[in-house]
Amino acid sequence: MSDHVDGPRQIGDPAADLSDLFAFTSPEDAGRTVLAANVFPSAGPSAMFSNAINHSLVVRRVIVAGFGDAAKFKSGDQEYRFNCRFSVLERGPGGTDPTQRGTCTFPDGQKLDFVVNDEKGASTPDGVFRVFAGLRSDPFFLAWLPAVLKKAPNLLQHDNVLSIVIEFDTRRGLDSDKGSLFGVIAETSPALRSASPIGHEPPRFDWIGRPEQTNMRLNNPAMAGTDDLRDLWNQQTPFAIADEFQPVFRQRLIDSLTNWDMRDGHADWTPATLAASANVYLDDFLLFDVSKPMSDTSFLEIEKSTLHGHAYQTGGGRTVNANVIDIMITWMVNNDREFLQGGATGATKPGGNSFPYLASPNSQLQTVVESVDLSAQADQVWALIGPFDGTWHPLIARIRVTGTGVGQLRTIETIDGKLIIERLEAIDNSQRFYRYAGISGIQASDYTGTLDVKPKGTGSSVEWRVQYLADDQPDFIVKTIISTLLKTGLASLQARFGAQK
Amino acid sequence: MIDDTCLEIDFPVATAGDIAVNNLESARQQSWSRFWQEPERPGIAECIVEQEQLAAQFLGDMGALDRLGTLVNQLARVDGESARTALIHAQFAAMIHRFAEAKVHLGQARVRGVSPDAANRLSLSIDQACGTRLQAVLEARRRRAAGPGRLEDLVPLGALLADLGEFEEADQIYQRALSEYEEVSPFAIAWVCFQLGVLWGELVPETQSSRAAQWYRKAIEYLPCYVKARVHLAEIYAHDGRTGDAEALLLPAVASGDPEVYWRLADVMVATERFADAEGQMQAARSGFEVLLGKYLLAFADHGAEFYSTSGNDAGRAFELASVNLANRPTLRAFELAYATAVGAGVSDVAGEILAAAKKRWAATPFFCLSPLAANDRCSDVIDDPRWCPVSDGELT
Repeated sequence: MSDHVDGPRQIGDPAADLSDLFAFTSPEDAGRTVLAANVFPSAGPSAMFSNAINHSLVVRRVIVAGFGDAAKFKSGDQEYRFNCRFSVLERGPGGTDPTQRGTCTFPDGQKLDFVVNDEKGASTPDGVFRVFAGLRSDPFFLAWLPAVLKKAPNLLQHDNVLSIVIEFDTRRGLDSDKGSLFGVIAETSPALRSASPIGHEPPRFDWIGRPEQTNMRLNNPAMAGTDDLRDLWNQQTPFAIADEFQPVFRQRLIDSLTNWDMRDGHADWTPATLAASANVYLDDFLLFDVSKPMSDTSFLEIEKSTLHGHAYQTGGGRTVNANVIDIMITWMVNNDREFLQGGATGATKPGGNSFPYLASPNSQLQTVVESVDLSAQADQVWALIGPFDGTWHPLIARIRVTGTGVGQLRTIETIDGKLIIERLEAIDNSQRFYRYAGISGIQASDYTGTLDVKPKGTGSSVEWRVQYLADDQPDFIVKTIISTLLKTGLASLQARFGAQK
Repeated sequence: MIDDTCLEIDFPVATAGDIAVNNLESARQQSWSRFWQEPERPGIAECIVEQEQLAAQFLGDMGALDRLGTLVNQLARVDGESARTALIHAQFAAMIHRFAEAKVHLGQARVRGVSPDAANRLSLSIDQACGTRLQAVLEARRRRAAGPGRLEDLVPLGALLADLGEFEEADQIYQRALSEYEEVSPFAIAWVCFQLGVLWGELVPETQSSRAAQWYRKAIEYLPCYVKARVHLAEIYAHDGRTGDAEALLLPAVASGDPEVYWRLADVMVATERFADAEGQMQAARSGFEVLLGKYLLAFADHGAEFYSTSGNDAGRAFELASVNLANRPTLRAFELAYATAVGAGVSDVAGEILAAAKKRWAATPFFCLSPLAANDRCSDVIDDPRWCPVSDGELT
């Protein structure tokens, strides 16, 4: 959610919605740079790129034009534009999955064709450029509830995105001999109409520089009642925010940063340094220096050092595994006094050290839900099924429990001799609810079950829900096994307590 | 003969229809997976509502209604007292035309603090669908559309203007929606094109089938799987004797399970004297309608009445369904359908009562003169005449 669904105009076609931008030195070759942009937050397994959108990564050389409270990063006029377009779908024979192709145009004018989701990607004949585009595990993780700054599990767990990864020889791709500090943005813009338009063409659908410029700074979720500036921001030209709107955005950034600073009740920023950092954020591009080392922790170091009045030491940038949210929140809330760790330390899958660097896509969690309405009161039903070691299920012969409370294990022996081990993850007897995780016995991973009882009418309603990833066998087999388990259990409750009329 | 000349308008470029449908399905499944992980997660249920509405509206996927029912039930379990649950319940109830229920839930949503904009938007939709407070709805719709037009504001305004007999202005509003559209979703563009097809093919007093056919074709061009557009275009083709073209349009839509596809296919087969095949399709249409009516009577009562009053050949069932529809939302169109089916069912006394009730409620409106119910009636001719607001029961003195 680095920049996910960040304005009403993005809701039209999720494939136009840019979520993240990365810039880092290739882990495979220090002489090569990797730029990556993600679109389509929460993409499903079959997601494809829009054929009506230009996807561009645009780099400009940047100089440090001021230090301390006068910190300023000034971008040059020369543009290094990497532009990707995608085709319509090509249907395979016999109902096979469709294929999509893409073409990337590089700053030197070379064009490169590639096939979407081909993990090897494609390279130009001279080896300067290499491209991958396709579905990947979303490397972004957000493990806070930003409005209240409360830790949470990763809100993007198991999510996928469509990624465009471009790797290139740094010296030849960016003329880095002429200067090593760069700013990069990504934008999605419309393909041209076939004839002269009526109305007007939007210059772009979305763009992104640093993460969370829109959803956390310009539209700070803790500042209720303020105007939503995200659409106006998205309509700005990157590297050239309109003069007339700069005061509006600057003031909003100052207000927002002030709010972030006071989230822990302690002012760690002076008004002058807040205003200086607002100015830096106003020039919204992701800074990276190809002559210096970039790491998982170098994100924002260029900005911080410059605001502190001294030369930066790293290449800044943003790697796939950088914990950008915690780095940003820590800086905004307490000016790096104390690191604020959210509720997760990494994304669903970590990025890798080989092309295309972003991890393979996540399988979609499958869900089986069964419920039954009973004539008995909720407390009466919970008294039977609430105990984690309860043997009320007709397919269970016996249960042995190890430990107590949350974390305890139950070893279930089924009537046909199978052993299933589950761990209690959470329980709330007042709400008549518990959640458990599967350890072994069912051929599925990420297996979690939830059982709850709620009052309904004059009786109660029991719901049993299981989510899982099928391991190495067809999903319908696992689904049938789980569904039978749930239905049989709930049917036994109906027989015992009677169905609600 | 249908004129195939191109529409003189520059159309927006959009994502190819098959990519958009593929991505809708992909995102829809992912949303459900996320919902089941954390049903109370902000935004996820709202996202599912939008995606399922798209699936129902464009893909003819009536399973979307069942899934939305599951969503509403699940929200009621886990987050039953929240404003968002009440609003989503109201949206679902309105979608299946249970308007009284929708109003109750909308009232709860307001009390619980739902955003006034979201509540007002739904309230306008309910009033428009029920034919109530139309002047206030029109004013509100105009206000919403006065600024930079958003499709979700412009299209309902166009539909309302068409209902009020302001056909040229409706056409202008729809065309404005096309010209001001700044995204690349083909769903939105196809929707406007479809509305224009309905406007010129069904709503204007002297229908222009060529013009309508061009708009339906355009809708299908943007979104080849657009079931309703295929059905409407097939009707025009069949009427024009192009039964082969009509059948070719309908066959790819059979997989949607929409009973209207079977109905129109049966009509084409009758026209080409393939009576045994036609009977099979007609059976599928009949059972399809009955399944839908069994689950969502109010949502499909008008469609069912139209089916049974024509090819479905059951005047009694048609009148029964049209009466249900009229009781649920006494729009002028509902009166017209109820009157026609009453006449068809041979209950002339009831037909007379319906006609009288229709006049009592709608005769003061300027657009009543465009209705078949208005024969020889004198009509008002100024739309902002305060009398044009329909008179509800009990208000007439």
